[in-house]
Amino acid sequence: MKKSVYVVLTLLLVLTGLFIPSEEVAAEDGAALKRVQDEGVLVVGTSADFPPFEFYAEVDGERQVVGMDMMIAQKIADDLGVDLEIQDIGFDSLLPALEARNVDIVIAGMTPTAERRKSVDFSEIYFKTFQNIMIRAEDKDVYTSIESLKGLPIGVQSGSLQEGLAEQIEDAELMSLTSLSDLLLALKTNRIEAMVMQGPNAEAHAGNDEDLFTFVGEFEMEDDDAGSAVAFRQGEDSLVTAVNESLAEIAEQNLTDDYLVVAGEYMVQSETDEDGEEVETGFASDYWQYFWDGTKITLLISAVSVFFGLILGAILALMRLSKTALFRFFATAYIEFVRGTPMLIQVMFIYFASGMFFNLPALTAGIIAVSLNSGAYIAEIIRSGLNSVDKGQEEAARSLGMGKNDALRHIIFPQALKNIWPALGNEFITIIKESSIVSVIGVGELIFQTRVVRSISFQGILPLFITMMVYFVLTFSLTKLLNFYEGRMNHD
Amino acid sequence: MIKVNHLKKSFGKNVVLKDINEEFNQGEVVVVIGPSGSGKSTFLRCLNLLEEPTDGEVVFEGTALTGLKEKDLNELRQKMGMVFQQFNLFPHKTAQENLTIAPVKSKGVSQASAERKAVDLLNQVGLGDKVAAYPASLSGGQQQRVAIARALAMDPDVMLFDEPTSALDPEMVGEVLKVMKDLAQSGMTMVVVTHEMGFAREVADRVLFMDDGYIVEQGTPEHIFTQPTHERTQDFLAKVL
Repeated sequence: MKKSVYVVLTLLLVLTGLFIPSEEVAAEDGAALKRVQDEGVLVVGTSADFPPFEFYAEVDGERQVVGMDMMIAQKIADDLGVDLEIQDIGFDSLLPALEARNVDIVIAGMTPTAERRKSVDFSEIYFKTFQNIMIRAEDKDVYTSIESLKGLPIGVQSGSLQEGLAEQIEDAELMSLTSLSDLLLALKTNRIEAMVMQGPNAEAHAGNDEDLFTFVGEFEMEDDDAGSAVAFRQGEDSLVTAVNESLAEIAEQNLTDDYLVVAGEYMVQSETDEDGEEVETGFASDYWQYFWDGTKITLLISAVSVFFGLILGAILALMRLSKTALFRFFATAYIEFVRGTPMLIQVMFIYFASGMFFNLPALTAGIIAVSLNSGAYIAEIIRSGLNSVDKGQEEAARSLGMGKNDALRHIIFPQALKNIWPALGNEFITIIKESSIVSVIGVGELIFQTRVVRSISFQGILPLFITMMVYFVLTFSLTKLLNFYEGRMNHD
Repeated sequence: MIKVNHLKKSFGKNVVLKDINEEFNQGEVVVVIGPSGSGKSTFLRCLNLLEEPTDGEVVFEGTALTGLKEKDLNELRQKMGMVFQQFNLFPHKTAQENLTIAPVKSKGVSQASAERKAVDLLNQVGLGDKVAAYPASLSGGQQQRVAIARALAMDPDVMLFDEPTSALDPEMVGEVLKVMKDLAQSGMTMVVVTHEMGFAREVADRVLFMDDGYIVEQGTPEHIFTQPTHERTQDFLAKVL
């Protein structure tokens, strides 16, 4: 046991050594700009739950991330002479993704706070904005100023500028959540009394939901805090210069006003089918495609991860039962380490760490992470299964002259499989549910799509309920299927 | 056929076989008797190396099994059938599949001819109607007869029996002993560890009496059962007969 602790620690040290970013402070002589132009594509990270800046809408029958920021991104890409690729990632994960080279730049209505400037560089501010207070419409005569919110529970998006501003509300109890949709739901269900939101975003929501009301909050702000800017990795000055040129042009021609008008039209479009009476049917016909796409990705991740998890698990289990100490050692260290760390971190680690070396798509990174994780659990299940088969079975097979591998394959393994079937089924169901964790790196699975639907439909609870039902149908069908095969294996 | 030289076996500090020298000849039926813990089963299991001897050697048909490579050992084991106290049938396979799996997978016999032979052997042990039955649906005596047929399916040169009737209900002992008796009469070389003194007296060519890790005394059944010379043999027989 002591030995394996040592191995795990050594492993950790080696890994962290590998992934600590080497500082690139040296003058880069246009390398960053050249890299983007050589690759012919600008990868922009954003968090598409922030209308009117970035959100999903149907464009020519296809769902895309649209909004003011995305039009700015398109303009920058055009000016650079490259294609634009947009990666939708949770707001919290944007800067890690940038530093890990998963994206080239971040455009997400992000404010260049002093805190953020420590880890990344920013362009000039391209959009000056104001900050709003969002409240329930029924409270609009009660809460009329920052002062009237004294001592109340206030919601803010975690890691946002508004989180800092909300501290100007005296004695406020802050509730920080990653998702604005969750915060709005918290507001509507009386968990919080108000939210601090970016101005145009707040107006977009209030304009689409009669239960909400918003007004401008008189926060004291530093100049830097007053707008949005594009974020870059430190030291990529050539890219910053190029982007600033595009932004200057945008400012000169007042293009942001035009962009906001276009974005507004997309928001109206996503509402056209709704008529007050038939919200439910309207909802299903409007958004079923999102749930269907998410379900497909969830099934894909689960199926592939179960497949590779089984292979990896079988290999690890055999290594743990091997006579070679080194194999036992490695397998034990791997299993203990993977079981002892949160899957959330594993997913982010694999995605961001791999980004430093090569461009691994988020879906692939997610599948790898889930497979590696479930492999460790499946290994323990298989090991217990192999141990559960009576010793006499192997002896009988060996006494007939069957080789070790034949005995394992034809005699031991089929019986082990029958014994561990319920535990394996449990693990498969866990994989279906836990695969939702990959939504943090922007994989469009079911939970991710639910977040999208909630942000564009301005509906808080209904999407959650639908998603819950979809998961239940998936896991329940799997249970039925597994039971069927369990019955077929039963010869008692 | 099998020659055992200075065989020793210990489990940790517990020395089970102390110094065994013995030879089994073609066509011979040898029954090993002795009190519990005397090392009979360990001795038998050392013959096909299910237990790795601590010292000494086991020579089978001119080849020393001890120290053989895995693959060569597997080939020689195919010629040494074994029947276990707990039957150890493969529960996920039918009676017929129990008989065909090893010949097909390890000996390269074709599926069709293995199946034909399986039916013949099951008929031979009186279970022609249980070809498609799973072990869980068979009685103990039937299971043990399938196990004997399974070992015979590999065409062994010798059959090792490790207390084949000890786990059976009394009324089923007879059917298994009958199969073994038929086998002995057909000329099969057999080494049988058992407590069935009747079987030893009737079928054995030679009886070995083991106690405390040694073969204490051996001879014809007549000699052992009527005029044992060793005191420990007399004590043991006085208790069981």
